[in-house]
Amino acid sequence: MFLYDKKLQYPVKIARPNPRLASIIISQYGGPDGELGASLRYLSQRYSMPFDDQKGLLTDIGTEELGHLEMIAAIVHQLTRNLKEKDIENTPLEQYFVDHTNGVYPAAASGFPWTAATMQVKGDPIADLTEDLAAEQKARVTYDNILRLSDDPDVNDVIKFLREREIVHFQRFGESLQQLRERLNQKNVYCMNPAFDL
Amino acid sequence: MESQAQRKRCTEGRLPQMAPLANPYVPFQLENPPKYEPGMALIRGTLFPGLDLPFMNMVNNKEKEPTPKSELQKLAFMIQELALYLDTHPDDREALEAYQNYQKIYAKLAKEYGEHVAQLNHAQPTDGERYRWLDDPWPWEFAANQEV
Repeated sequence: MFLYDKKLQYPVKIARPNPRLASIIISQYGGPDGELGASLRYLSQRYSMPFDDQKGLLTDIGTEELGHLEMIAAIVHQLTRNLKEKDIENTPLEQYFVDHTNGVYPAAASGFPWTAATMQVKGDPIADLTEDLAAEQKARVTYDNILRLSDDPDVNDVIKFLREREIVHFQRFGESLQQLRERLNQKNVYCMNPAFDL
Repeated sequence: MESQAQRKRCTEGRLPQMAPLANPYVPFQLENPPKYEPGMALIRGTLFPGLDLPFMNMVNNKEKEPTPKSELQKLAFMIQELALYLDTHPDDREALEAYQNYQKIYAKLAKEYGEHVAQLNHAQPTDGERYRWLDDPWPWEFAANQEV
């Protein structure tokens, strides 16, 4: 069960609307390494985790990612607030605008709509946690790239926070993977799939 | 000045002895790691200086102005960060105590916030003649930053 708290995890206060930045930051809403994929990946993988430490960590990080999804939406929403046709014409937001106006839609910066094909639930805990390590690194690089392209201090304040969360999550997934291995056959952790064969 | 030993403790972790082959390893964060204060932890995006690894030295230095909401955000962040740490370090007593302590303070502040600022969630008890849940601003709006 999820209970909505009427507050963001971290304040989003964007003073100046900016269609160009909105057109790139939307990628962390619905792009290949964005927060929607992150939350669905972890919250879906948890069902096939055989041990309680992994179930708990995936639930907690997956839930936090839903909060990050909301923060990214807040950035895009504030970057597009009160934009009119003349503000959007001849900016990179034009192509997004024709389909979504100033709404927030899960798509990559390239325009490709969010797809579950960018994530996996393998049903094997070592494979899934190893994917999660990679996912955190890819999201971290996306935030690095946003920092390269943005000089808006209000946007960057939030992006730096979100980027750092990826590093902390990477650390926790790595520790969780080690705890998982300690519960498996020490001679060969790959001798079977603990989600399927135990 | 931070001593070299302290710095090492903060930024280095533990690997299993005789780690088997064909496994990816992330060093385990040592127990009782150095911690930031809540205001600094929030803007850095981590409670732990050892995990604070910014891109091209871009760091947030200015703590959030204290408002009822930012105080809640700071405490909720401490609880979240300690929860993730405890998920993989359930035996760290000091972290558990800090987690429980922040839970108590958060519960108190959330109650005051619900009574005096805005209803935080549907589970909070409310009273009065009016349904307040729908009151603007919603969290994603720019105006959500203007409340006192």
